[in-house]
Amino acid sequence: MSAPTTEIRTQWTTSFTDELTTGTWRAAIPVHAYKPSPCHVACPVSNGMPGWIKAIGEGAYQQAWLSLVDTNPFPATTGRVCHHPCESECNRTVLEGAVGINGLEHFLGDQALAAGWALPPAGESTGKRVAVVGAGPAGLSCAYHLRRLGYDVTVLESREKPGGLLRYGIPEYRLTEEVVDKEIQRIVDLGVEIRTNAPVADPESLERLRGEYDAVFLAVGAQRAKRLGHLDDAGGPARVIDGLEYLRRSSAGEDLGLGQRVVVIGGGSAAIDVARTARRQGKSVTLMSLETRNIMPAQDEEVFEALEEGVTLVDGAMAASATLTEECLNLECTLVTLDTEAPVGVLRPMPVEGSGFAVEADSVIMAIGQDPDLTAFAAVPAAGGGTIQVDMASGATGLPGVFAGGDVASQYRYVSAAIGAGRRAAWGIAASLGHPSAEVLPHLDLKQAVQKEEINAFYFPPAERTEKERTGAAERLLGFAEVAKAFSVDQAAHESARCMSCGLCVECDNCFVFCPDTAIKKDADRPEHYAILEQYCKGCGLCVAECPRGAVHLEAVAR
Amino acid sequence: MIDQLKYEIEEKPVFCSGHNACPGCGEALAIRYILNTMGSNTIAVIPPSCIAIISGHQPYSSMRIPTYQTTLEASAASATGMKRSLIRQGRGDVNILVIAGDGGTYDIGIQSLSGAAERNEDMVYVCLDNEGYMNTGSQKSGSTPYLASTSSTPGGKPTEKKDIAEIMAAHRVPYVATATIGYPDDLARKVAKARDMKGMRFIVCLTPCLAGWGIPDDAAVRVSRLAVETGFFPLYEVEDGEHYTINRGHTGLPVERYLETQRRFKHLDPDQIATLQGQVEHKWALLQARTKLECEPHPEYLTR
Amino acid sequence: MSMDTSNITVTSGQSCMPPVQEGDTRMLLTGNHAVAYGAMLARPQVVPIYPITPQTPIAEKISDLQLSGEFDVDLMTAESEHSAMCACVTASLTGVRVFTATASQGLLLMHEMLHYAAGARAPIVMAEVNRTLGSPWGFWPDQSDSLSQRDTSWIQYYCESGQESLDTVIQAFKVAEQVNLPAMVVHEAFYISHALEPVVVPSQERVDRYLPPFNPEHRLDPLINESWGAVVNQDMYYRHRKELTESMALVAERSIQADAEYQELFGRSYGIIERYRMDDADLAIVGFGAMCGTSRVAVDALRAAGLQVGLLKIKLFNPFPTEHVRAAIAGIPKLMVIERNVSPGIGGVLAQTLKANLYGMKDAPTVHSYLAGVGGLNVPSRLIEELAKKAMADEPVAESLWQR
Repeated sequence: MSAPTTEIRTQWTTSFTDELTTGTWRAAIPVHAYKPSPCHVACPVSNGMPGWIKAIGEGAYQQAWLSLVDTNPFPATTGRVCHHPCESECNRTVLEGAVGINGLEHFLGDQALAAGWALPPAGESTGKRVAVVGAGPAGLSCAYHLRRLGYDVTVLESREKPGGLLRYGIPEYRLTEEVVDKEIQRIVDLGVEIRTNAPVADPESLERLRGEYDAVFLAVGAQRAKRLGHLDDAGGPARVIDGLEYLRRSSAGEDLGLGQRVVVIGGGSAAIDVARTARRQGKSVTLMSLETRNIMPAQDEEVFEALEEGVTLVDGAMAASATLTEECLNLECTLVTLDTEAPVGVLRPMPVEGSGFAVEADSVIMAIGQDPDLTAFAAVPAAGGGTIQVDMASGATGLPGVFAGGDVASQYRYVSAAIGAGRRAAWGIAASLGHPSAEVLPHLDLKQAVQKEEINAFYFPPAERTEKERTGAAERLLGFAEVAKAFSVDQAAHESARCMSCGLCVECDNCFVFCPDTAIKKDADRPEHYAILEQYCKGCGLCVAECPRGAVHLEAVAR
Repeated sequence: MIDQLKYEIEEKPVFCSGHNACPGCGEALAIRYILNTMGSNTIAVIPPSCIAIISGHQPYSSMRIPTYQTTLEASAASATGMKRSLIRQGRGDVNILVIAGDGGTYDIGIQSLSGAAERNEDMVYVCLDNEGYMNTGSQKSGSTPYLASTSSTPGGKPTEKKDIAEIMAAHRVPYVATATIGYPDDLARKVAKARDMKGMRFIVCLTPCLAGWGIPDDAAVRVSRLAVETGFFPLYEVEDGEHYTINRGHTGLPVERYLETQRRFKHLDPDQIATLQGQVEHKWALLQARTKLECEPHPEYLTR
Repeated sequence: MSMDTSNITVTSGQSCMPPVQEGDTRMLLTGNHAVAYGAMLARPQVVPIYPITPQTPIAEKISDLQLSGEFDVDLMTAESEHSAMCACVTASLTGVRVFTATASQGLLLMHEMLHYAAGARAPIVMAEVNRTLGSPWGFWPDQSDSLSQRDTSWIQYYCESGQESLDTVIQAFKVAEQVNLPAMVVHEAFYISHALEPVVVPSQERVDRYLPPFNPEHRLDPLINESWGAVVNQDMYYRHRKELTESMALVAERSIQADAEYQELFGRSYGIIERYRMDDADLAIVGFGAMCGTSRVAVDALRAAGLQVGLLKIKLFNPFPTEHVRAAIAGIPKLMVIERNVSPGIGGVLAQTLKANLYGMKDAPTVHSYLAGVGGLNVPSRLIEELAKKAMADEPVAESLWQR
């Protein structure tokens, strides 16, 4: 090129705006931070679902399972029987329906049993010993977590086999003994000692344990069935029996000879289990519940399946009195409403005038709940309602060194609640014993969780919820074979992809993509995956609005 | 598997941070994907508009390519001179990109745009359509929708929006497309497609204006998607003036879902909303019909 | 064309038979065709153009020369003069030499872009054929169109023959590209644009020696990555305008130098002003454009009649060469401006400009202003002689006087 023709300099634009600062404009700045999902918060075991569900989607099943058992050592069990409050709170309920979290747990649990995966190893020994009384879900959960925290654990079980309610209270068609055996064996393999036929029957035994062990966890469940005196009086032990006993004896193969017409009284899972077991024994079953169907404590699908199986539901009703005839027990019944003023957890039925009707029964099975037997634990301060008084966060009782959890210490009678209580108590025990890295687990509130409004539904195209396949009612009644099937690999993939991963960044890059100021940088070295370029960010909040899952939020800044 | 909408957009670092757009500006987002797709071998022509403001005050440019700011009506003509000059210098590979607003495109700039289209000048012309003279305080333009309130039509615009995509398609230019910021991958794909073609390529990109439309700082993306999903602004492409492809459009969502997000439509009564719904349905049906029009080319007919 | 041309007087500052050098070609050309040849010799690479009477022969001739292969150019047929000028600006800023031509309403439609081109420091050269402005419509020679664009920061050269227009187009590129300002080469409709004259078309080889390839330091180029036209603050705007003004101030000297170099290579020179028989003049006729040719005849006649009258031709009208004009008229007591334009409310634009530029000059002459030939009316030498005598006899008045 020849020399420039121009002699006169003119002023062109030669600099770029990235020398400038627009960050001073902002009144708020986005922050990438993990926020618990509502399923996580709602989970009694505080399970971080989005993480392991994401891993399922990636096909990393064992990694997913290890994440799952970090809190819950019984996925194959809870995958079958959990009442899954996680699904009730799932943000996807505002779209086509909750993610099938329980089904995914079932899937992972079975994958683990089939592959024989081991639980994470025991922690470095603390040299301290803890006694756990009761080998039900609460006790075994506590034992598992204590073991991982480095404690020597001895579980004392009064019955001949461990498992408690899992083994003796849930019928085979919902939870097989094989699953229970395998999941317990994994805990045993971790070095937990389980002594069966080892009841702690009196206050002295407890005192002895307190002396021998650094801490004691009481998880003996609630074994003493509640009764309705007027029915016992009318029917006697031949015609009026309690549900747990019925289930225990039925699972042992015993025929109780109850006659053809069975009335089951109760509205919880146990009542449904009883009714359905009786149907499998060929009985005509009427289920009578104080609660109407919509508020029955039993899971909705359980009620649905019971009805499919031919159980007659008489809900919102009670047997006010009974008369024994030669042929049967005549139940004089009435419809009821429930007193809304009654304390939480207390049912106070109010008969509806003129609604009386009669039901004939050859026998009545009471499944209206159990109370703990606290005979041996008189030294431990009790709460109202017949349970041991505990600090919910740590499981600590009023007696130093003694902790409690599960049905013995709570009216919240669910398997997963018991597992969660065992876990919290393990950490509470460890904290009390001066464990270097354990503390009482924090309580999470749903208000802290990702709210439905934080979900950007655009990013979640419609995808139908996967239900577990179930055998037909007629086939089910032929025996005690499992009703619900685990997801197939394809179903698990579909269902895991439905998870919106609320609050857990999946590096979708939306925050980066939608920043008009290019003020968000991808940064693989950061745990939150992104860096906000504070020099430029104007705080518009588009990254927050376009985050599909509430994994970034705005924080106000002083101007 | 379910489509989880992960955007795969290849970007080159052309658009700089530190620019003057309002926080949350939809136009800045559009500019990002347009420039970063066009790449650095590009010269941009910018008429007066918010784009000109965003492009920076001398001596700072927000665009790491040469830009030339022209007069409001002159973008296409300015681009023409540039491209022809470059071709004469053996530099015809340099992309010429116009980024103009709707005023500079639908109204005062339509003569030079039509002339350049008729000559099939080699440029990518992107109209960032915020449906009014937003930079001067929200006056109505030929692009303002029927009944929308602006500072010059405070009671609602009495006439319909011009259909610039159809006007351009009628010039039989090689490529006409509509796009919006709610679908940045679609926008980037269209810009890339346009970039790799020759002749007049025209893209009209709906870019919500926060102040002019009366929407919150974080809503531009959401509102732009509602424009598409309600059928108010379908996304489509027209090649050689006659081959129509609809990318995204009316999902059956009532137009009210779009209107209710914006202050400029707050005054509408149910009858007016029904009228707008009817217009949307009619235009959507027309657009769909166009995709189905087929005609064997005449054997003597030469396309460009 | 219905214009009566029988009365037109065609003269030139030089001989009717200009000298021919080796490689030159003598052709019989209209003024507009001469411009087209001048443009071709300057080798612009892009010519955006829009047709308008009486400019069209320029556009047509360029089209013919392009079709014949003589003129290697991108001829852009714009959809308006406005767009043509837009394209001129960007083509120039992108680094090529640019030429265009227009007239009358076309120039007015360009008005916005004329300012823009100068602000952008684009050294475009444009031929402008003076024509009346509407309304009402007319097609006649009148300088009001180009004079109304005086304030657009364009260099304006007014020519009185096809040869001068051809030579000035080439010179204009030389000056414009040195100072980064656009230049208008102006001649009048029909009297010049359509009048046939012998014109020497210089050899391309010598024009190439005279005019180096255009190679601006700043340009729109991704390899350079500089931008033009962004919004500026008050301070930046002040600096831009001051620099533009300083560049404009160089134009007179650069034009003189360009003309001198042209003289050396081609044997023709025009100066930025021309003194014709000004020695000992009692009255100097001052004019520009075609009026100068007729005025020369009138001066000769007046001198022959014993009146001491001369002619001062203003070729470079903008920037107005104040010092050169003052020197040229020093000692002459009276000036008479005769011009083919009017700015109602102001009068003759040249007269008013001249008066403004004489203000404060020691022993400044008085100025008589005559509006003759407005609307394209013929101004024969006889009328000029009469006006000269009248001016010598009368006391001057402030306003411009209509004369026919």
